[in-house]
Amino acid sequence: MFSVKPLKPTFKCYLPPVQTDVKKTIEQPIKKLEPSLLQGEIVVNEVNFVRKCISAESSQDDLWGKLICTNFKVSFIPQDAPPKQKSKLSHLLLGEHDIPLTCLEQVVTVNDTKGKKKVLGSNQKLKFNPTELILYCKDLRIIRFCFDEAGPESAKKVCLAIAHYSHPADIQLLFGFEYQGRRYHESKGERVNGSTPRGGLQTPIFDRPSDWDREIKRTGASEWRVCAINENYAISQSLPEYIVVPVSLADQDLKQYSIFYTDQRIPLWCWNHVNGSALVRMANINDPLQQKKIDQRVFTAITKSHPQRGEVVRSDLDKCLPNIQDIQSAFVKIRQICVIDPFEESEERWLTSVENSRWLEFVRAFLKHSAEMVYYLEGKNSSVVLQEGEDRDLSCVVSSLVQLMLDPHYRSLIGFQSLVQKEWVMAGHRFLDRCNHLKKNDKEESPLFMLFLDCVWQMMNQYPAAFEFTETYLTVLSDSMWIPLFSTFLFNSPKQRAQYLMDFAKNKAIPQGEDQVVYFPPVWNWSQQLSIKDQTLFNNPMYVGKGAACVQNGEVKTFRRTKKTYSSTMRGTSASQRNGLKGGEEPLPRRGSLLSELKPDFSPVKDESPIERFFRDWFSRPADQQGVLIPLLMPSHVALWKLFFLRWVPEACIPKGGPITAYHKLSQLVDEIEILQSKLRQYKGPSSGSTPLPSPSGPLSDQRRMYFKASSPSDSSTPPDYLSSSFPFTPVGNLCRRGIHGTPISKFLNGARIWLSTETLANDTV
Amino acid sequence: MEKSGSIDSLGSKRSSSRQPSVDSLSSTSTSRSDRSAQAKPPSAMSSDSVATSAELSPELRVKPKTLAKQVPRDSDKEEPQLLPNETVQDMAQDVTYFCPFIGAMRGTVTVTNYRLFFKCMDREPAFVLDLPLGVVSRVEKIGSASSRGDVSYGLVCKDMRNLRFAHKQMDDTLRKSIFEVLMKFAFPVSNGLQIFAFEYGQVFPENGWKVYDAVSEYKRQGIPNESWRITKVNDHYEVCDTYPSTLAVPVNIPDEELKRVSAFRAKGRIPVLSWIHPESQATVTRCSQPMVGVNGKRSKEDEKYLQAIMDANAQSHKLFIFDARPSVNAAANKMKGGGYESEDAYQNAELVFLDIHNIHVMRESLRKLKDVVYPNIEDSHWLSNLESTHWLEHIKLILAGALRIADKVESGKTSVVVHCSDGWDRTGQLTSLSMLMLDGYYRTIRGFEVLLEKEWLSFGHRFQLRIGHGDKNHTDADRSPVFIQFIDCVWQLTRQFPAAFEFNEYFLVTILDHLYSCLFGTFLCNSEQQRLKEEIPKRTVSLWSYINSQLEEFTNPLYVNYSNHVLFPVVSLRHLELWVGYYIRWNPRMRPQEPVHQRYKELLAKRAELQKRVDELQREVTNRSASSSSERAGSPTRSITPVQTFV
Repeated sequence: MFSVKPLKPTFKCYLPPVQTDVKKTIEQPIKKLEPSLLQGEIVVNEVNFVRKCISAESSQDDLWGKLICTNFKVSFIPQDAPPKQKSKLSHLLLGEHDIPLTCLEQVVTVNDTKGKKKVLGSNQKLKFNPTELILYCKDLRIIRFCFDEAGPESAKKVCLAIAHYSHPADIQLLFGFEYQGRRYHESKGERVNGSTPRGGLQTPIFDRPSDWDREIKRTGASEWRVCAINENYAISQSLPEYIVVPVSLADQDLKQYSIFYTDQRIPLWCWNHVNGSALVRMANINDPLQQKKIDQRVFTAITKSHPQRGEVVRSDLDKCLPNIQDIQSAFVKIRQICVIDPFEESEERWLTSVENSRWLEFVRAFLKHSAEMVYYLEGKNSSVVLQEGEDRDLSCVVSSLVQLMLDPHYRSLIGFQSLVQKEWVMAGHRFLDRCNHLKKNDKEESPLFMLFLDCVWQMMNQYPAAFEFTETYLTVLSDSMWIPLFSTFLFNSPKQRAQYLMDFAKNKAIPQGEDQVVYFPPVWNWSQQLSIKDQTLFNNPMYVGKGAACVQNGEVKTFRRTKKTYSSTMRGTSASQRNGLKGGEEPLPRRGSLLSELKPDFSPVKDESPIERFFRDWFSRPADQQGVLIPLLMPSHVALWKLFFLRWVPEACIPKGGPITAYHKLSQLVDEIEILQSKLRQYKGPSSGSTPLPSPSGPLSDQRRMYFKASSPSDSSTPPDYLSSSFPFTPVGNLCRRGIHGTPISKFLNGARIWLSTETLANDTV
Repeated sequence: MEKSGSIDSLGSKRSSSRQPSVDSLSSTSTSRSDRSAQAKPPSAMSSDSVATSAELSPELRVKPKTLAKQVPRDSDKEEPQLLPNETVQDMAQDVTYFCPFIGAMRGTVTVTNYRLFFKCMDREPAFVLDLPLGVVSRVEKIGSASSRGDVSYGLVCKDMRNLRFAHKQMDDTLRKSIFEVLMKFAFPVSNGLQIFAFEYGQVFPENGWKVYDAVSEYKRQGIPNESWRITKVNDHYEVCDTYPSTLAVPVNIPDEELKRVSAFRAKGRIPVLSWIHPESQATVTRCSQPMVGVNGKRSKEDEKYLQAIMDANAQSHKLFIFDARPSVNAAANKMKGGGYESEDAYQNAELVFLDIHNIHVMRESLRKLKDVVYPNIEDSHWLSNLESTHWLEHIKLILAGALRIADKVESGKTSVVVHCSDGWDRTGQLTSLSMLMLDGYYRTIRGFEVLLEKEWLSFGHRFQLRIGHGDKNHTDADRSPVFIQFIDCVWQLTRQFPAAFEFNEYFLVTILDHLYSCLFGTFLCNSEQQRLKEEIPKRTVSLWSYINSQLEEFTNPLYVNYSNHVLFPVVSLRHLELWVGYYIRWNPRMRPQEPVHQRYKELLAKRAELQKRVDELQREVTNRSASSSSERAGSPTRSITPVQTFV
């Protein structure tokens, strides 16, 4: 149906495309505008003389150029590329104006003169010639092209091609399969010359027993073992091949129990507390007759694996957390008010709109529930079992948050990535369906991973020194979901992954036995996407790594700390817990929530519940960045993640402001410290170890860890002009809503307009 | 650290309750507000944070261990450590304090001429509530004697909390309840007593009364120059009794004419210079509303005067008049003889209304806010409840107004005149905020003190009336949180530009705490004239004496001198936030969030230590190579560029 013009793939793919474009246009301005293509990427359709809208307010900044649809992306190549902005990440796989097809949420064509508008799907017809194409992207960008000078037929064809290719009929049509196949063969030679099979990847993938073994040892879970009954996915379609189970349960028992669990998902060990309590997740048992019996056996086994025989608390996540449709609809709403609604009009009832979206409420609900699990594990020495229908959605969020709160290891970059591998990828989160990469079933779409990242950001926002990585890292990670070149976010389960990759290997003649990570790498090898320099934006200068504990407070605290234990009965748990925990034998004498009552001027006073006391007690001590971290859970302390939600919104961009200006200053200081440290090392020789400051993990030597370098004494350390609250992203050309009218001054008014008399507005013309 | 020790025991920290014992050395209680920024020698940072986090609530105790170790003596005492000239007025045992967060507890109450001090020894660690009486807005006897014969009292505080106490009915009916004693000292002005600031005799190394000198501030701005002069026409406050004695006015308007202009401006508050742009000479001037009245009265002198202000700036042939009020309110003022400049009368002038509401609206808004945040925040509907207070909306309008002013002056190179009705509330907010955006000097600690002294104190913001120091008339319609709102706006700016301000959040909270505490003379009285008459500088201590004696505590370590950079904040609800570190600080579930600053200080210490070690090694190497041979010429020391070792 579409004319496919195979172009010779060029090998420019690892060069930042924009730069090459700049050079070209300088040499031959009128010359054909060539897209930079990856291996295996082909141009499907293209149209010239297209205008990309840059600003909603005027068209003077708009760019003219060529719009191209390939089998991987929508690409726009400007005729006269403006000088590249310093404030932008240069992506190695995507140019400044490129959008992967997988990143498209909606393709909308408009005919202004006819007043028509159509959302395009796959294989559709278009009865009018579009004058405009609006691309709504999953990373919240909105990009607008105008065809006023373009050939109407070609424009139409490109629009249809974009719509068609962004709705692949089959997962194997996602460009990653083509790309990685070519890449594998093209780069074969290099690999032979020495690089390790896993490409030096430090992040454990948890596809082999050794990864689990290491995790068992690291957490001291001596009463747990790696079990191979699911090898070749013999038992469950969605569990990983290797799982960790109580030593007291034999393979035979597990096999027997498995038939009663949804999808045969027997309980899955996640993590062990140093006190011996374990975090376990499992699916529902379908047969109510069997449930009690199996529950009892499993719980007994979990108790046996606890050195103090701590009790087991079960939390039924389906009963106390929002479901995936609720979460999806919250995300749709918050996106609507952040990027789609006109800025000033949404100012008016901003807070209420945010509240009505329920996004922050859900973020808080997940954090709160996870913190309550922390109370059981940390405060009560109880093991916790997270139960969810299929154990593949809400459990992923809760189990990873609990571990993030309890175990500082997961707050390092590698630790965090291994957590995502363990609790999301290997636990069988349906990334393919939840991301809706094939755009087949909107009902299955739900941004759970995004919700998780938001929760992580909330923790980071409250404990800025506790994480090795930055919010830029989280944002880039979320964007990576929409680039179909990494195996991490493409599949519904380890089995599906293995199957498709095996087929893929066969089709691409990749020898059996090659490691999947080698021929279809996960996202964790960041050099696929970003230069080493840009990757330094992931490093948090404030991070208090283990080596730096000495700097803090004089007294070094370790992860194991003595804690008070409270009475073992669970008096007065909060409402959500009561709903959430049907397990446990404790009867729950109820008490009114502290908050729900009307408060008179001088409110009456209540006693605290043990969990409230646990939290208060915890908050009354200084937070140990390398210990347990519990987020503040008051609604006033859960904030909108501005970098993620507002980075494309020009009106919300603070010039020379935002948290990045503090980051800038901190980075410079840490860079100075690292210079001094390397000096010291030079004096002392390599062995005498000065405590490496913030990061124990990063290579310190030649590469500077900090994006912003120490200024020489003569420089002023004023933040550079290109910094803004959107850094390292830029709203320029990335958010062009339709139908916004306004003058530049309206930016400064920002909604104050409704308060102004018309007279005043008329006066304010400058 | 004797000095800081005593300082510590001063007031700011007291404004809230923290256990003395927590504070170990100083044995004073501190406000939760002082969180990480607690004033102490640097080494105390850590203990500080201990204290802070303890705070789960202001009132919650901290680590028993710390206490035991460091403060064996004080923690046993039931009374507070007294300030110079502070005297105990009454004490009572067996008083119950109903903490809204952790429950009822029984202890001893001490009332002095400065504070209320409650201590409960039953708790481990002991619980302390330490409250300057200036914070008390009203004391209410709640209900009659309850079943058990208790008498209950509620204290409504100006700093967003309510406290409730109860004690047994007195056997001796002649004896006054301790809360009656408290009422006497909480409202000294109503009871013919002196405000404690007049008795407090602490001496600080710095003299805060010297921070501001009008002439040198104008000089800093380059005034006098060919267009502006300093006039002494108001030297005896005859032209305007709410203005300072030193004023800057256009050169070509003689003093005699100024007097005629003053007749046409409400309360005689003529347009005078607040700030001048160092390059464009565009100015920010402030005044009160013109006395136009229903008949549209005009004043040739006033018109000429505004023309002179415009002419003083050669860059623009226009003058912007920003009327802070909603146009409806401005029009309504005509009925009372006031009004606004008509564009017929003032050629070349453009009038803009900024739609900021009056003091009564703001008071009501803050009252609603208190309902929403104290003692607890409801789990649901937080944002819509917050929205319904309109507090952030008001903040937004004020900042939006200031931004427009700054934008006109900076980008438009146009002079602006700012007024509201009397020119001492909204006008001060707008001029000082736009000056903060325009002039980096005001973003330093001293510069900010100068800004407050100038735009707020010398230009007659009526602190006494707005706050009601020592006055029991809590329903007074003149009370209003205009200044709090201004400080909130400043905080919003610091959030958007975390590296642009020399001061930290603790500095702003401290200012607000002492706005009420009546420990310092800074915020007493309504005008410069009154302060002079009361001999405030002679008889009281300035807040700046206290602050400038321990600047370290109030310094933002991330501060980068933006020098001439003008700040253009994004005035949008997307970026405005509720200042939880102030409004919600009493809630034990709220942990102060300033670890970035703390971490930065730790890193600075680390750098200093490393630099020292490097220097030492370098010296060693130099010595060694000098003594041995010259072979090591290529030693590592040379290849390394020097790095800064100072902040």
